[in-house]
Amino acid sequence: MDIFPLYLTLKVSVTATFFSVIIGLGLAYLMARKGFWGKGVLDALIMQPLVIPPTVLGYYLLVLLGRSGPLGRFFEDKLGVSIVFTWKGAVIAAFVASLPLFVRPARAAIEGVDRNLENAARLLGKTEWEVLKTITIPLAWRGIAAGSVMAFARATGEFGATLMVAGNIPGLTQTLPIAIYDAVQMGNTKMANILVGIITLFSFSVLYFVNRFTRGRY
Amino acid sequence: MERSDVSLSFSLKKHLHFRSRSRAEGSDKSGFSVDIEFSTGEEFTVLFGPSGTGKSLLLNMLSGIVKPDEGFVRVDGRDVFNSTAGIDIPIRDRRTGYLFQDYAVFPHMTVFENIAYGIDRLPRSKIKAKVEELLELMRLGGLENRFPIELSGGQKQRVALARTLATEPKVLFLDEPFSALDYQVREKLRADLLIIHERYPITTLFVTHDLEEAFIMGEKIAVINNGRLEQFGTREEVFYKPKTRNVAKFLGVRNIFSGRVVSADGTTVTIENPELGEVKALVHPEERPFAAGEKITFGIRPEEIMVILRI
Repeated sequence: MDIFPLYLTLKVSVTATFFSVIIGLGLAYLMARKGFWGKGVLDALIMQPLVIPPTVLGYYLLVLLGRSGPLGRFFEDKLGVSIVFTWKGAVIAAFVASLPLFVRPARAAIEGVDRNLENAARLLGKTEWEVLKTITIPLAWRGIAAGSVMAFARATGEFGATLMVAGNIPGLTQTLPIAIYDAVQMGNTKMANILVGIITLFSFSVLYFVNRFTRGRY
Repeated sequence: MERSDVSLSFSLKKHLHFRSRSRAEGSDKSGFSVDIEFSTGEEFTVLFGPSGTGKSLLLNMLSGIVKPDEGFVRVDGRDVFNSTAGIDIPIRDRRTGYLFQDYAVFPHMTVFENIAYGIDRLPRSKIKAKVEELLELMRLGGLENRFPIELSGGQKQRVALARTLATEPKVLFLDEPFSALDYQVREKLRADLLIIHERYPITTLFVTHDLEEAFIMGEKIAVINNGRLEQFGTREEVFYKPKTRNVAKFLGVRNIFSGRVVSADGTTVTIENPELGEVKALVHPEERPFAAGEKITFGIRPEEIMVILRI
C-alpha cells in the first residue's frame, strides 16, 4: 500500500495547524480584547471558510495564488516559489479552511478570562507580554487546545479547496481525502475502505480529546 | 517595608457617554461624569457614597486601569498621569497596590505562587523569605500549596492582600474588598487591615458604600455622590458636621428639615420651621456665625431627642 497520501496529509495538516495557531492566536486576542475600525469585517472574513463552499474558497485561492494572480506573481518573481499544484498550495488551502475553527474557540476562551486578573497582573508590575504569557494564555489554554485540535482535524479532512489549489497529483499533492475519492473512482474498494477506516478512527479520537480538554478545574 | 510619607493628590475628570434606551425622551445621549479632586497622606482614607456614584471608577482612573479624559494624578509629588503634559505612566510602573471586590487571585496558581507573582525577579531565597513572612502575617500558614478554589472568600482576599504587599506598593487602593464576605469574616479582615496599616503606613484609599465600614475604617472620609466630592475631612468632621444635605442623608440622618434663622448669638440659634415651630439649637464653637433670616437645613439625631412630660 502506498503510504504517501498519509505522509503528505500529516505534513500538510501539521504545517497548516502550526500557522493557524500562531496567526490565529494573534487574531483571537485582537478580536477578544481590542476595539478597532473594521473589526466586524475582519471577523466576517476570517469566518468565511465556514460558510462558503470549499470549491469557491479554492477558486479564490487559485485566482490569488496562481502564476498570474497578485500574490502568486509576488511569490514567483521575488521568492522563486510556486504555490499552486504543489504541497505548499495544499498547506495554504488547509490553513485558510482551518483558521476559523481555531479562532472561534480561542477568542471565546480569551474573552472568558476575567479582565481583573489581567489588571491585577499589570498592577503587580507585569508587561503586556508577561500578562499574556502568565495569565491570559494559561487561563484560556483549554479553548486554545480545543481550537488547535479542531483546526488540525479540519486541515486533515480538507478536500475541495485543496483539490482546486493543489490538484490531484499522486505522489505529489494527493492527500488522504483525495486519495479516497480517487480509490472510489477507480473502483479500488479495498483501498478506499482502509483509508476511510484511518480517517474515521482519527476523527473519533479528535472529538474524544476535544471533550477531555474542555473539562477542567477552574 | 520602610515607613512611607507618600502623598496622593489628584484632580480627575471622566465623561462617560452612552446611548439612552429611550429616544422618545428627547436626547439620544446621556452621560455620567466624574470630577473629583483631593489630596491625602498616609491616613486611611475612605471613599464613601451610594452605589453607582463613581467611587470604583475613581480608583480605576487613579490606578491607570481606566484613562481619565482630563486631570492629573500625583503620587509623592510625581505625576503618574497628567493630561496637559501628556504623561501616562504604564500601570506596571506605578507601584499601586489594589484589592478587587472579587479578589482576582490567579486561579491557576497556588497560594505561594500567587503571593510570589509580583516579586519573581528577586533571588529565590528572598522570594521564599518574603512569602513566608506574609503567609505568617496574613494568617495563611499551611495553605501555601492550596489552589484558590480550595480557599474561602476571606482567605482569598488575604492572599490578594499578601500578593500586593509583597511588591511594596506606594499607595493601596481597595475597591469594596470585603463586601462579598459574611459579617464575622468582614470584621476580622477590617481589623487585620487596620493592624497592617499601622505597621506599614501606606497611603490607602478604601471604597465602600457601607456606613458602618466607613465609620470604623476611615481616619479621613471622602463622601462622593454623582461623580462629585460632597465633603472631605476627618471622620469626626464628616460624621458630626456634615456640610450638605446629601452627606447628612448618606450618613444616616433621617430627620432633615429646612428652616429660617429667627435669631442667633454666639452659642445658640433659633430656627423657624413650619412643622416644628421654633427650634432652639446649640451652635458648635467652630461653626461660622448664623445671620437672622438665613435659610438653612438642619438635622436632628434621634439619639439626641429627649421626651419630657410637662406637668
